[in-house]
Amino acid sequence: MSSTVEGALEKAATTVRKVRPTWPVVLLALAGVILLLALLRVITGADDVASSGTVRAAIRAALPIGLAGLGGLWAERSGVVNIGLEGMMIMGTFGAGWAGYQWGMWAGVAFALLFGALAGGVHAIATVGFGVDHIVSGVAINVIALGAAQYLAGLAFTGHPGGGPTQSPQVTPMSTFDVPGVADAAHSIAEKNWFFVSDLAGIVNGLTSRLTVLTLIGVLLFVLTWWVLWRTTFGLRVRSVGESPAAAESLGVSVYRYKYIAVIISGALAGLAGAYLVQDSTVYREGQTGGRGYIGLAAMIFGNWRPGGLAAGSGLFGYTDALRLRSGGESVHALLLLLAVLLVVFGLALFRKNRRQALVSAGAAVLLVVLFLVTDEIAGDFTGMTPYLTTLLVLALFSQRLRMPKADGQVYRKGSAG
Amino acid sequence: MRRSTKFAAALTAGILSLALTACGGSSDDNGSAKESTGSSGAKSDIKVGLAYDIGGRGDQSFNDMAAAGLDKAKSEFGVKASESEATPDEAESAKEDRLIQLADGGYNPVIAIGFAYSEAVGKVAKQFPDTNFAIVDDTANTDANVTNLVFAEEQGSFLVGAAAALKSKTGDIGFVGGVNVPLINKFEAGYDAGAKAVNPNIKIESAYLTQPPDFTGFNDPGKGKTAAEGQFDGGADVVYHAAGGSGLGVFQAAKAAKGLAIGVDSDQYLTAAPDLQPSILTSMIKHVDVAVYNFIKSFKDGDPLTGTVTFDLKSGGVDYSTSGGQVDDIKSKLDDFKKQIIDGTITVPTTVK
Repeated sequence: MSSTVEGALEKAATTVRKVRPTWPVVLLALAGVILLLALLRVITGADDVASSGTVRAAIRAALPIGLAGLGGLWAERSGVVNIGLEGMMIMGTFGAGWAGYQWGMWAGVAFALLFGALAGGVHAIATVGFGVDHIVSGVAINVIALGAAQYLAGLAFTGHPGGGPTQSPQVTPMSTFDVPGVADAAHSIAEKNWFFVSDLAGIVNGLTSRLTVLTLIGVLLFVLTWWVLWRTTFGLRVRSVGESPAAAESLGVSVYRYKYIAVIISGALAGLAGAYLVQDSTVYREGQTGGRGYIGLAAMIFGNWRPGGLAAGSGLFGYTDALRLRSGGESVHALLLLLAVLLVVFGLALFRKNRRQALVSAGAAVLLVVLFLVTDEIAGDFTGMTPYLTTLLVLALFSQRLRMPKADGQVYRKGSAG
Repeated sequence: MRRSTKFAAALTAGILSLALTACGGSSDDNGSAKESTGSSGAKSDIKVGLAYDIGGRGDQSFNDMAAAGLDKAKSEFGVKASESEATPDEAESAKEDRLIQLADGGYNPVIAIGFAYSEAVGKVAKQFPDTNFAIVDDTANTDANVTNLVFAEEQGSFLVGAAAALKSKTGDIGFVGGVNVPLINKFEAGYDAGAKAVNPNIKIESAYLTQPPDFTGFNDPGKGKTAAEGQFDGGADVVYHAAGGSGLGVFQAAKAAKGLAIGVDSDQYLTAAPDLQPSILTSMIKHVDVAVYNFIKSFKDGDPLTGTVTFDLKSGGVDYSTSGGQVDDIKSKLDDFKKQIIDGTITVPTTVK
């Protein structure tokens, strides 16, 4: 039996590994993208595409989405669909705002984790303990969390300076720091306006300056999640209950316990995503999450239920969102050209394997180039869609073989292994 | 198995009812609880129903201004009032129910704050032809018993646009709108015109945080910060926001970039945190309080305002703020523009070219 589970997981892993790029390939691709951005800057004059400000804004936009998605990843790897991420994130924003304005941002983070975990616990009790349909429970959590946060905010914040039923008093944000040596050096090179080198330096500067410890923790959690889920016994068990709970149980794994743990961690991560939003904007505000929980869930699915894919998806979303907010039509217009080039590269790579798909992407590329040439700027009505469209397009093309955990979303009752 | 299914059903039911009460708590049951009469002043039989937009009393902005107008009417005329507020992402029917509840409870007039009530007022006003309705920021309804209270935001925005251009050293200013809707376009149009009246060659950057029907752009300080940062990085040194709660992010970006920001709706210098105050140049004030008060007053006097009533610079419905003293040196120039708009020498456009 043991070999069945291990074998199944191993087999699943190898099928995925076939399309999974290795480190040199990833680095080379990154260099290629930066080269493209540098070219783009020179050709179109859209200076903002690789500036440190854009990179910083991209991280800020990407992290809450990514952390929520990471929460989704933990839950779904254990076989529980978590559509309640948005609600858990709302609980996190309230916790961070409430504790944050009284005892500082770190207390806010702690309470965000706690409140998120509590909401996760409710989801776990409903789905694992009572076998409620995962979607029903998740939607219920979204509704309750919104109502609960509104109710609690009215009680907690009314009458305090700067606070009201929809907003918390201001939270003192965490102090920021630069990576010594690197940030300054990168900044001075970025100022030089050298082709490629300055673009690279701008990105490095964006990644190494004005950081908060919370940002670092957020990034490290991606690595930690990968390590725990794919490199430890505990992680193997979590994944095994998501792939084949019956087999896991027959081997003595307590399916319920692992699901409970994973879903509670999931809630805590979504809560942390909420704390990140509060730290960034220095207040809790009603409606602040703005659907980021759902976007995180989608990025996680397109990222093939893996931390790396999720990071790429939320990063891309964050980057394009930052770009269109910062400089609007101009940068988005330049982005058309970049997308066209990527589509051509993709089409060429695919030409042998799948003619039709290659032709489709080539056609799309031609369309984008035409659009680029006949317009000067993208109208405001469309720039708002950029992050959604780009992420959808790129991820849809690159994630052809999605494989979700086999028992994901299925209700498992103890003892059904027989 | 059976037992757990029962448990599950009970749990789900419990959860849902809890959720409903939680939602309802903030919106529907305020009818009797918050009913109050002004302590001083003459007694009056008038019962005013006030339906706030999201945020309600205490939002330090739009809704609070409306509440201030109501409070003034309460203390001066002794009117009774019932207040209730909208919740984010609520269904259209919830807005209708709120208005019906007020009208059904004998509240007359019923005042709806915000264009979100547009359709609901249209429907409910037809059901209650004897009740007077008023809606702030919307002109879609033409029923005889609906009064549209609107503002000449473009006129106030013109003045702060002129202030931005007069204060800008780089000749580059920015505008951050919450949601790309005609109402917010009006702010941008006035701002552009005012800035160009001072400096025809000025560069104006503009960004909207979300596109309708996504209205989260009014509540997302993070996005406000990103957009304003982009404009400051691009060379702008004064940024005006018409983005509700997202404006906080614009103030933060202004502070970080050592630039200036312009507030909206209320005098935001007064409610901002002390560390942000030096970054706030002025605010475009929209006197919702005046509109609400005047409407109630006209009703009390037996001659209710009807049709579409525009509150502009002339009637004191819009203005710029001077708190903080940062516009003191250009005040004479701004007042000059104000005079020209009032006497009709300058006509401010309402749509962006």
